[in-house]
Amino acid sequence: MNQPILIVGAGPAGLAAAHALARVGQRSVLVEKEDRLGGAPILSGYAKLVPSGEWARDAIGGMVQRVESETLVEVRKGVKVAAFDGAPGNFTATLSDGTSVRAGAAILTTGFTHFDSLNKPEWGFGTFPDVVTTTQVEQMISSGQGVRCPSDGRKPKRVAILLCVGSRDRQIGREWCSKICCTVSANMAMEIREELPDCHVYIYYMDIRTFGLYETKYYWKSQEEFKVKYIKARIAEVTSDGDKLIVKGEDTLVKRPITIPFDLVVHAIGMDPNVDNKSISSVFGVDLEPHGYLGRGNFYGNTAETSRAGVFVAGAATGPETIDDSIAQGSAAALAALGALQPARASA
Amino acid sequence: MPIHEQSLIRPENLKTHDELVMDGVDVSGHWSTFIESRVVTDYNEAMQDEIAALPGGEHIHRCWQCGSCTNSCTVNAINPDFNPRYWIYLARMGMESELLRDKDIIWQCVSCNKCTYACPRDVVPEGVMKAMSHWLELKGHTPMSPSMHFDEVFADQVIERGKIEESRVMQRFFKRTGQPLFQDWFVEMVKQMLRHLPVGMLARMGLASVLAPSTSGWSRARDAIREYADEQHGKHRRALGLDNLIETAKQDAGAPARS
Repeated sequence: MNQPILIVGAGPAGLAAAHALARVGQRSVLVEKEDRLGGAPILSGYAKLVPSGEWARDAIGGMVQRVESETLVEVRKGVKVAAFDGAPGNFTATLSDGTSVRAGAAILTTGFTHFDSLNKPEWGFGTFPDVVTTTQVEQMISSGQGVRCPSDGRKPKRVAILLCVGSRDRQIGREWCSKICCTVSANMAMEIREELPDCHVYIYYMDIRTFGLYETKYYWKSQEEFKVKYIKARIAEVTSDGDKLIVKGEDTLVKRPITIPFDLVVHAIGMDPNVDNKSISSVFGVDLEPHGYLGRGNFYGNTAETSRAGVFVAGAATGPETIDDSIAQGSAAALAALGALQPARASA
Repeated sequence: MPIHEQSLIRPENLKTHDELVMDGVDVSGHWSTFIESRVVTDYNEAMQDEIAALPGGEHIHRCWQCGSCTNSCTVNAINPDFNPRYWIYLARMGMESELLRDKDIIWQCVSCNKCTYACPRDVVPEGVMKAMSHWLELKGHTPMSPSMHFDEVFADQVIERGKIEESRVMQRFFKRTGQPLFQDWFVEMVKQMLRHLPVGMLARMGLASVLAPSTSGWSRARDAIREYADEQHGKHRRALGLDNLIETAKQDAGAPARS
């Protein structure tokens, strides 16, 4: 029998790859460094997902259960791949617990790391308790607690969502658009308005990039049905007058400086390359692209290739990516890896 | 100083002191001119909802500031200060003092509706302009325009009698706008009418102006229209927070409280 396929990372892309392989009778070994499967949507406690509106714990939780019940998927939690040697059809991965796994091919679905807002200190995160990230607001919603000011638990009357925190910013070396934050923020603004109808939500933007069909479903809907207000301004700093957070910037459309009080300021944090990408790159012998994500070897003939034969990549490991596209890429990578095993099979 | 920045300075924000001493240092002369900052310090969140509560303003919150309305605007072509895109933004964000600076030109919209057909989001900017003028009037920022007076006098008569009697419309319009009844052109017109119109028609006109007859069976229609008009008027005033609670209660009880 042919070698199993090694899948590294059990987020949406990795789960999709493992499931796809199992469906066609191919064994796989799914390695996850955390002690839970599900990746960012589960580990970071996302609430309702774009674009289906399903809760992350149901949608991605369902994918986890499906994979855990597959006999053809061997799940290895709480371990990393420490070394990876061999050639296509006959790789050996040494795991951090000392065990080793033989694999015919590997799929890297190692995902991303949320931007750490401490790297933009002028926007008050870490200084003022009522400056939070989109991830924290997702947790407030998914836990059932509701959107509250962390300082005293009160319901905010006015919320500012700052877009492009950790994205599109040469000052901090983030020269990319994180792709999903505009849509996620518009969705979040509507969720806040739904839970707290008396709370006004302002989104400070440089551009609004609710791409494709998200235009009407998120951007237009948030304006037309939920009266979310969009202000074209890059915020200069977030301070406090002791009572409220003070947001300063320039409202570019009226050419005037603004100094506006808010109860809660939310950073729409971007998607950084996985902090482990340098070691992933050296362990697996794959190149990184200039932004620090895993490089893709081929954009048209086979989208899942890396710079090393027999090692494939999918999902947000390759750059900011949506959950549904990560799932599609996971399935595509599964097929690519399966194809790569064919010569080995024929000769076996 | 670049031209763009000069345009940001408003004359009233320039403070000049003939003699000025700061921390014991005499800084009179060129140094005594200061530009006061024009920082937006808060949003008036009621303003967008108030405009949206008036007829025509319903879709103001859809605006995403593309500027199609201003680009297509008939009045903007003549007066570059006439900028619907900008005013819609001020109203949406509640920058009231800023909007009031332009109160004397906002009403100049000619309702050509080019903006209505240019707007990609169906904001209906022409309607918003109408609502904005209405808002300025109801809030007492702008006086009622002569044409609004005429419309009201005209509509009042139609509602009251089901028809209008021209001489009464003119009389009331002149009175409300402080104009003398005996204006040259008006006197001349009446003279010519007396000279040239058949006697029978003059008699009927004279009688109508004295008796002011109604359309037969009009009273039920009048009551229904009056009730609806009062209801709308009261609704708009309440939306703008203009009536106190007692008046509001009266209106809710159906009593006419038109001011």
